Amino acid sequence: MIETRDVVKRYRTGGETLTALKGIDFAVEPGEFVSIMGPSGSGKTTLLNLLGLLDDPSEGEVLLDGEDVTGISDTERTRSRKRTIGFVFQNFYLIPTLTARENVEIPALFDHDPTVEERAVDLLERMGLGDRLDHKPDELSGGQKQRVAIARSLINEPRLLLADEPTGNLDRATGKQILEEFVDITDRDVAVIAVTHDELVNEYVDRTVELVDGYMGEDVPTDGEHASDSALSASEPGSDGGGPP
Amino acid sequence: MIDWLLKRFPALLMARRNIGRTKVRSVLAALGIVIGVIAIASLGMFGLTLRYQITENFDDIANQVTVEPNRDGRQAPTAISEREVRDIRRIAGTSASVVPLQQQRAPVSLDRGPPQNRFMYAVDSPAGVYEASEGTIPENFRSGALVGQQLAMEYDLEPGSSISINGSTTRVRAILAPGGTVGFLPTANVVVVPTTMFQQRTYSQVIVQAEDSQAANETAMALREQLNDRRDRFTVDDNADLADQIGETFQALNLFLLGIGSISLLVAGVSILNVMLMSTVERRQEIGVLRAVGFQKRDVLKIMLSEAVLLGVVGGIVGVVFSMIAGGLINHFMLDDALLAFRPDNFLYVGLAFAFGVGTSLLSGLYPAWKAANERPVDALRS
Ligand SMILES: Nc1ncnc2c1ncn2[C@@H]1O[C@H](COP(=O)(O)OP(=O)(O)OP(=O)(O)O)[C@@H](O)[C@H]1O
Ligand SMILES: [Mg+2]
Repeated sequence: MIETRDVVKRYRTGGETLTALKGIDFAVEPGEFVSIMGPSGSGKTTLLNLLGLLDDPSEGEVLLDGEDVTGISDTERTRSRKRTIGFVFQNFYLIPTLTARENVEIPALFDHDPTVEERAVDLLERMGLGDRLDHKPDELSGGQKQRVAIARSLINEPRLLLADEPTGNLDRATGKQILEEFVDITDRDVAVIAVTHDELVNEYVDRTVELVDGYMGEDVPTDGEHASDSALSASEPGSDGGGPP
Repeated sequence: MIDWLLKRFPALLMARRNIGRTKVRSVLAALGIVIGVIAIASLGMFGLTLRYQITENFDDIANQVTVEPNRDGRQAPTAISEREVRDIRRIAGTSASVVPLQQQRAPVSLDRGPPQNRFMYAVDSPAGVYEASEGTIPENFRSGALVGQQLAMEYDLEPGSSISINGSTTRVRAILAPGGTVGFLPTANVVVVPTTMFQQRTYSQVIVQAEDSQAANETAMALREQLNDRRDRFTVDDNADLADQIGETFQALNLFLLGIGSISLLVAGVSILNVMLMSTVERRQEIGVLRAVGFQKRDVLKIMLSEAVLLGVVGGIVGVVFSMIAGGLINHFMLDDALLAFRPDNFLYVGLAFAFGVGTSLLSGLYPAWKAANERPVDALRS
């Protein structure tokens, strides 16, 4: 599905160069649910941006469906994003002037597809927001906004869902509901990658990878103890569905 | 209808909602356009109206060509013969009316008092050059007299009144409409009689009334060339220079007025630029999200430009409405007829002002829209 090969990401600020990712090999298969954990500043968002085709690595390759997508044109990249990737951002980033339903329709806005409205309503109902369709974001709670954001990420039926702290703003019950939704969509062969600090997430994922200071280590699900931070253990995508408890 | 538009053009939906988000700011930006459009349209209409008012009085003169014997020419005739009048008719063509005049001097009494010697014109076909304000001017002028308005007022004359010319009594057929000059005598003070009143076969002057000043100019040139066969027997006068001068003056005036109007649109443009730039800064993340979920650069460009154009169109429409009111007032006070604001020329200016208004908004929106579209989504989402 998506794969990084020896990816390095450097940021240049002023005269200094900061290496945020120091050679990451990582791959996710269709239908897999992977979480990325690690301390603040370890490069999680940076990695997610590379996987989401929002940014180019300084070195190495990012492969989407086996094809190198580093260095392709902005138009191509945007098209691939739209076709295959759904985003759930940490701060929801809903558009305040649009209703919940319109926010969900946004990624398909320019498609002139008559079924979009129906699909948007459907998704919102699945998220338990059937009675909030025409509410503006400032009339929704944090958890409800998060669910609208998730519905929006699913409107174009992506094959890869990237979520930055999807449960960060949710109480435990709502968090569980969202995570079950994620597990549901992985059953339809959608890969889900979630960056999180929430141990709850690890009860649902197939595997967890640890990111420390730009290096990646890998673990079996819900192990708790993590391997060394400097070892470049290649991520074998073979972990066949630990499944939710 | 609006719903359909918004569905059909989703960029408009986004744009409309965004304008609604910062209502006061948007209204102020559109107000700039409103003022700019009103300024351009009403200054343009003002110039046009001024020109209309002035040329209305000059029109007759500008379209006239006068032919007279050359007073300084040694071999020149002292009068214009019937044959030469026929030549003039031929040269002037059928679209112009040719009116030969005799200048006469005879004792006239307008008030039954003792007659006084007075200059008057003897004309066969006065309808070609004169207009009546009361009574009608006969096509075939055989009897009676036409009197200028000022004389009529002075001596209390109206159609049907009798006056005495050359010792015989005759009736006033019509009072001439004011304005303009035919020959040398101002219309307001003239007495016009049929040529049958005097036994004379030659004319002192021929007036050619052409359709417009350009035709008058061309006719004058043809007459000079063909009538004179190299000797300067006749003087041919036209007022094309005058007409040209008036035209040029007003063109300059109108350009100047439009220039002033354009400055206000420029200011409006800057304020839209400002509003749009603020809007792109405030919505940086939002635009980043749009780009992340698959909006192309040009989609973002479309949304931002729709916003600018929407401001321009709304401001433009309001501006046009107020401009028409202003045009009505201008025409009411200058020409005593508010409905003259609906002359096609005026619509040209109103349309021009509207186009300028929308164009200004579009231009002002270009840079902010370009800036928003070219922001990398990663950078936008970091902040
Ligand atoms: N555009 C940038 N310019 C300069 N430095 C950057 C940029 N983006 C990220 N960094 C740096 O790269 C490192 C990794 O940042 P990143 O945002 O990926 O961390 P993170 O793991 O997502 O942290 P958190 O859990 O706090 O969100 C940080 O030290 C950060 O300062
Ligand atoms: Mg982060």
